[in-house]
Amino acid sequence: MRRKRLSLKTITAFISMCVLAVVMLYPFAFMINTSFKSKEQYFGQPGHSTASWGKLFKTLPVTQQLLNSTVVCAGAISIILVVSTMAGFAIAKMRSKASPVFFLGIVGAMLIPLQSIIIPAYINASKLNLLNGYWGAIFVYAALGSPFATFLMTSYFRGIPDDLVEAAIVDGLSYPKVFLKIGLPLAVPAIITVIVLQFIQVWDDLLVGLLFIQEPAYRTITVGLGALSAGRVTDIPVLMAGSLISAIPAVVVYLIFQRQLVNGLTAGIGK
Amino acid sequence: MAKKSSLHRARTRTGIFFAAPALILVSAFLGIPIIQAGYFSFTEWNGVDANWLGISAYIQEFKNPIFWRVLENNGLLLLGVPIAILFPMGIAFLLNEKVMGWKIFRSIYFLPTAISWVVIGMVSMRFFAQEGLLNELLKAFGLGFIKTDLLSSEKGALFAVAITFIWSMVGTNSIIFLTGMATLDQSLNEAARMDGASNFRIFRSITLPQLNRFIQFSFVITVISAFTALFSLIFVMTGGGPGFGTTTLEFFIFQSAFSRGNFGTGAMLGVILFFMMAILGIGQLLLMRNKDE
Repeated sequence: MRRKRLSLKTITAFISMCVLAVVMLYPFAFMINTSFKSKEQYFGQPGHSTASWGKLFKTLPVTQQLLNSTVVCAGAISIILVVSTMAGFAIAKMRSKASPVFFLGIVGAMLIPLQSIIIPAYINASKLNLLNGYWGAIFVYAALGSPFATFLMTSYFRGIPDDLVEAAIVDGLSYPKVFLKIGLPLAVPAIITVIVLQFIQVWDDLLVGLLFIQEPAYRTITVGLGALSAGRVTDIPVLMAGSLISAIPAVVVYLIFQRQLVNGLTAGIGK
Repeated sequence: MAKKSSLHRARTRTGIFFAAPALILVSAFLGIPIIQAGYFSFTEWNGVDANWLGISAYIQEFKNPIFWRVLENNGLLLLGVPIAILFPMGIAFLLNEKVMGWKIFRSIYFLPTAISWVVIGMVSMRFFAQEGLLNELLKAFGLGFIKTDLLSSEKGALFAVAITFIWSMVGTNSIIFLTGMATLDQSLNEAARMDGASNFRIFRSITLPQLNRFIQFSFVITVISAFTALFSLIFVMTGGGPGFGTTTLEFFIFQSAFSRGNFGTGAMLGVILFFMMAILGIGQLLLMRNKDE
């Protein structure tokens, strides 16, 4: 009796989860299906073709935009890593009266919404001539990502025993050496989490790229797509092929580093 | 003793040196701009010349009916928040049954987290369109007479944005609750069951209180997303329209500054958004602190 009820429950759960999986995967199915149609096929003609893919690469600078996205991601993430590992180590292991204040400031910065600073930041960047290449966007992304990364690094370095650091200092190592030789190697899991989180964040972003990259030649793939769709010049199959191309890198990173992404997400809940 | 204090000084010096890059970067691109936003919110500003208006800048905006229309949209989006929390909670319970393939399902549900709002918006637009899947589904279920065109009406478009938003929060929130459920103390359930408590009673009196922290966290994340993360979705899906139908505060900031050139008003709206988010953040901190005592 009890067994039968349990299996019925299991079957219901399984079916519900399948239905939900279809709902969550629908955009991918739609993108794949639509991108393999020509414009005529999209409007009712039967069959599939690769015409839209050809058109995508012929008419839009997709390759250049993918490259731009990579450059912007790499630049922003490098800055975030340097800045946040150093600051996290300073807060956790080189404590002084300033550390708690500094930590509070960093946590406070996490509360600032992008939209609240974007107008002055845009004007400042334009005065500093940062809008013509990649740098404006790279710096803004780096500044937006650094507070959380520093928070993560701080809690990670706090997990390293003070004795370990002090013993190394007594042995004659300087603090920068301790940081490089002991701190960084132990922080590798947190570093990977930051890379994965930020990669997805920066790769997928529209607003910062839209404003802080003025030259179309430097646009990221997401901004390129956003601009296209807002222009309402719509060859939908081509747009879907572009969407798919833009989504693939982030999805691959997600599939490989799922666990780190989840760790990063739940890090804010605390213990 | 003297040696120790010189060591201490050296440590402080190096510490400051280590913290400096983060401090400079965050001050330059977040700290200073938020202070500037505060200043320029009291001015009429076209990006070059600013004209001091003082508090009347705010008063003028509070008299603007569009401002309230926009806040109403934010309010309506808030109505979606409970669904965006409870639905994933249910999913987390399903996943927690650990039936065959649950790990694969978990990965699938979380997958949209990796996709840009731009892409989500483009697909969602076609889903809700007149010739889209939504209407085909309605037809298939014999409800063809409903034939919707959500994106063409103000309330309908906001509804479509809200549904897309809820859909995209499924992954994040179910992961949060799944994490929470892993921390549940099973022995409490057993004890209660032994005392003859019903399943519902166990859920309400034992499970829910233990999940409290996770519900709060997911609430904060969901509200922050609803108010500050939907720019790209709205930009692609509706452009804020029809009319002001889907213009939320964050989108209004962009429009005021970059479509109309009212940088001062944009800065002010940014300050208002900042305070809304700060109150939320501080409220959560206080709530957590009260729990600890």
